[in-house]
Amino acid sequence: MMRYFWPIFFLTGLTYTQNKQVLYGFSEIPQSLIQNPGAKVNNNGYFGIPLLSHVHVNAGTSGVSVYDLFADDGVDFNSKLERIVYDLRPNDFFTVNQQLEIFSGGFAYGPSYDKNAYISFGLYQELDAILYFPKDYAILVYEGNQNNINRPFSLDHLNGAAELISVLHVGYNKKVNEKFTFGVRGKIYSSIINLNSTDNNGVFVTREGDNNVYDHVFDIDMSLKTSGLVNLTEDSDFETKDLIRQIPFSGNLGLGIDLGFTYQINKQWYLDGSLLDLGFIRHSKDVENHELEGDYVFEGINPIFPEVGTGQTADEYWTEIEEEFVDLFTLDTTTTKYTTWRPLKLNASLNYSFGEKKDEACDCTAQDPEYLNRMGLQLYAIKRPKQPQVALSLYYYRKLFNALSIKASYTIDSYSFSNIGLGVSAQLGGVNFYVMADNFLEYQNIYNAQSVSLQFGFNYIFNKNEN
Amino acid sequence: MKKKILNTYLILGVSGIVLLACTKDVDFNQVDDFEVSPVVESSLIFLNEPANQFYENNAEVTTVQDSVLIDVFEDQFVQDYLVKAAFFFETQNSINRSFQLRVDFLADADVLVHSFDYTVPSSPNNAVLNSNYTEVFEGDDLVSLKATRKLIFTLSLLDGTPINENTPGTINMKSKGTFYLNIDDTL
Repeated sequence: MMRYFWPIFFLTGLTYTQNKQVLYGFSEIPQSLIQNPGAKVNNNGYFGIPLLSHVHVNAGTSGVSVYDLFADDGVDFNSKLERIVYDLRPNDFFTVNQQLEIFSGGFAYGPSYDKNAYISFGLYQELDAILYFPKDYAILVYEGNQNNINRPFSLDHLNGAAELISVLHVGYNKKVNEKFTFGVRGKIYSSIINLNSTDNNGVFVTREGDNNVYDHVFDIDMSLKTSGLVNLTEDSDFETKDLIRQIPFSGNLGLGIDLGFTYQINKQWYLDGSLLDLGFIRHSKDVENHELEGDYVFEGINPIFPEVGTGQTADEYWTEIEEEFVDLFTLDTTTTKYTTWRPLKLNASLNYSFGEKKDEACDCTAQDPEYLNRMGLQLYAIKRPKQPQVALSLYYYRKLFNALSIKASYTIDSYSFSNIGLGVSAQLGGVNFYVMADNFLEYQNIYNAQSVSLQFGFNYIFNKNEN
Repeated sequence: MKKKILNTYLILGVSGIVLLACTKDVDFNQVDDFEVSPVVESSLIFLNEPANQFYENNAEVTTVQDSVLIDVFEDQFVQDYLVKAAFFFETQNSINRSFQLRVDFLADADVLVHSFDYTVPSSPNNAVLNSNYTEVFEGDDLVSLKATRKLIFTLSLLDGTPINENTPGTINMKSKGTFYLNIDDTL
């Protein structure tokens, strides 16, 4: 059956939020433990089908969609581009996040009558990139400086980071009592590629000059830090297999921790939350940093009387100006070690379960009733270079059969106020399959979606109630 | 078994929704139409000198000349996208002598490819006289500008009462270049 699914995955896989609002709290799916190490666990153990246990892709842009720019609507492309350049703000961003679980597994342990502890582990690869819209740069390219005399162009509008990492992790989940479960996950990050340009400062401004028509003021303090298989100045024989070899431990290592809990307020209400990727990566191998720093005010040249007052010749005068420019625009390349922080994520939810499941075999009310429906409110926040991005979701979960559960979510975030997400988890024997995606309302025209996220995976689960 | 079939259908159903994702017409080839036309302005030359700067060793310095090597026009970006340029000069003269500014454009091997001059009128009563001049580079002139590797500035005093140490007045010149770019087909 699976082979029929592949085309679907590839079709949808092309489009993609790092916010896994559908997966969060979906306890039938073992990977929900990655979203909250202190989530409720209701299996005895599992293993993920290697390379297929969790595939996640997401891409998003705030403020603009592909359709805005590329619609075949007869409107001149440059008019559309111009409108976007002027409409977008410097805090608008483009982001891509992709994860692929290489392997994962978990098992419950403890006394046979009450296995209340759970160990889960795995290795996954993650690609994460964000680029803010460099508004002032775009305006400068668009208009030039002629119509922008006295307007300072902020160089800090260039802000972006990208990383390709692998994450080896082990989590511990403990059900302390009927009310409280907590979990913790330790992570070892291995950075394969890192690009970081999040600390740019300075301005470029053309203003009325005293000696000449204009003074051109350059106040530049910019940097790009890189590590891993990045070499901007030399050609390298880079091959994919080099990349794969580096996945487990490339040398640029880091440590992180995830924390989470679930608190059962009463039979029907529970509260949970998690803090993910509280960690750093130390970049010490294959580091290459580029810095551009300097101040200079250019007012043109005085070609006829340069020697007056200073005693220098015209040639010296001209050479000095040239050198000032060369200094200003020469990249300093260093190999200074640096540290990056992982994007910290916060999840929290308040949930209400209702609609008790009737046991047809025995006309009795179970001691520990199982509810078929659940609703809740979820909060998600991620720390990004400029400011956190926050999303709020309302969801409805329904257990259709023993083996089939669905969840629908409505999310408001940086991208939109109309994001509907849907997810399904199915159990066929021991095999668990899940697929979820968001922004369904935009599927009438996928290009108009500012963000799409898709996750799917296959696991083999040993269920508690399996005979 | 029945349940399994049902489940299969449900999964297919959900996947179907995903599959039914539609697209409206988009045309990515529109990037070929990409075009921006920034206008960049830069200060060029300036001077601000009192009349007695033209008096040296008990004689009038009638001609002052200097040259500047320039490599900006060699740049491929400028070669490809510069579509028009203009040099704008504004002068304020309060010296009772008229001046001529001559700018020669030399290509490799000092081949003269372009030249222009303009006259700054004299100010008999030492009042500040404004005069402006614009040299536009289009067509063949633009080709010449792009070939330019060296500029020679010549400031000459035109006929009139000789300048001495006490000749009043000042000549002030400011200038800027306006560069019209048209960037296309680069995406």
